[in-house]
Amino acid sequence: MLQTRYVPPNNPLNNNEWSFPLFECIHIATFAMAIGTIALVDFRLLGLALRNRKPAELLKSTSLWTLIGLIITITTGLVIFTTDPQAYFNNPSFRFKCIALVIATVYNYTIHRRTVLSNSNPILGAVVGGVSLVLWISIVFSAIFYAFV
Amino acid sequence: MSIGEICHAIQDTQLFTGIRESGLLYPILLSSHLATLAVFGGLILVSDLRLLGLALTNIPVSDVLLRTRPWKRVGFLLMITWGILLAGSKLSEYYDNPYFQTKLTLLVLVGVHALVFRGSVYRDPERLDKLPRLPGVAKAAACTSLALWLGIMSMGRWIAYFDRPEYHPHRVEQPAAR
Repeated sequence: MLQTRYVPPNNPLNNNEWSFPLFECIHIATFAMAIGTIALVDFRLLGLALRNRKPAELLKSTSLWTLIGLIITITTGLVIFTTDPQAYFNNPSFRFKCIALVIATVYNYTIHRRTVLSNSNPILGAVVGGVSLVLWISIVFSAIFYAFV
Repeated sequence: MSIGEICHAIQDTQLFTGIRESGLLYPILLSSHLATLAVFGGLILVSDLRLLGLALTNIPVSDVLLRTRPWKRVGFLLMITWGILLAGSKLSEYYDNPYFQTKLTLLVLVGVHALVFRGSVYRDPERLDKLPRLPGVAKAAACTSLALWLGIMSMGRWIAYFDRPEYHPHRVEQPAAR
């Protein structure tokens, strides 16, 4: 047989007590790193913190940590997804999360990045920062909600 | 009154019963708890990375520490508020959960951390700006903070995975067997 059906109960993550929560912890810590570093720039864009610094300075010195955080959190997220792909895929909250994640990531590396680096006017900056915060927070909410819908 | 009975009485109050039995309020509180962790916990992480010389090195330590401090306090208050509402609504299951107890212990140690490193690092970070290199004590403070918060976060997640070795539905009435 060339094609074998994927059987979640054979997944190592479903066969011991510690690996699933461990992956969740790494997932949470690294999304906090990614979102936290983005939020710092957004706070600046909104004029709420570090106003004596340019947003571009903050972005340049945190972007590596954002990228590392995003890569690890998406990787661990995919690993967690393999424990029960069908249930996740059929969950409306999970679908919302996937779409929001794609939008937020593209937004972060296009509109958000360009606005921060171009030192555009503060009002536009505040709007871009606010949208960024809302997008990332909505992803966290949808992640929790798929255990409850 | 035993601790178990007290915890049960707390969770039985109208507020906590309402949270526990609401299909919407509980996940909203839990989501807020996690979103606050991401947004405001990120500020602690950034400060620790700055003290280690790993991020924001183009910005003085004092700027990073002092100018994010009000927001860290806001975040901490929000975090504690969501946490009390969440834990209170399930307190009689939580109080003897070892992961919950470890989490509370680590939170106390965060207070100890603040006291221990107050004089040398946090009270006057402008002093650190003038030094040619960041002193070891600043790095020690950052590493301790990272370890404590990672521990608190992990224990918080692990609370949900505690398998009670032997479950007694009436254990509230039994004398503590530890």
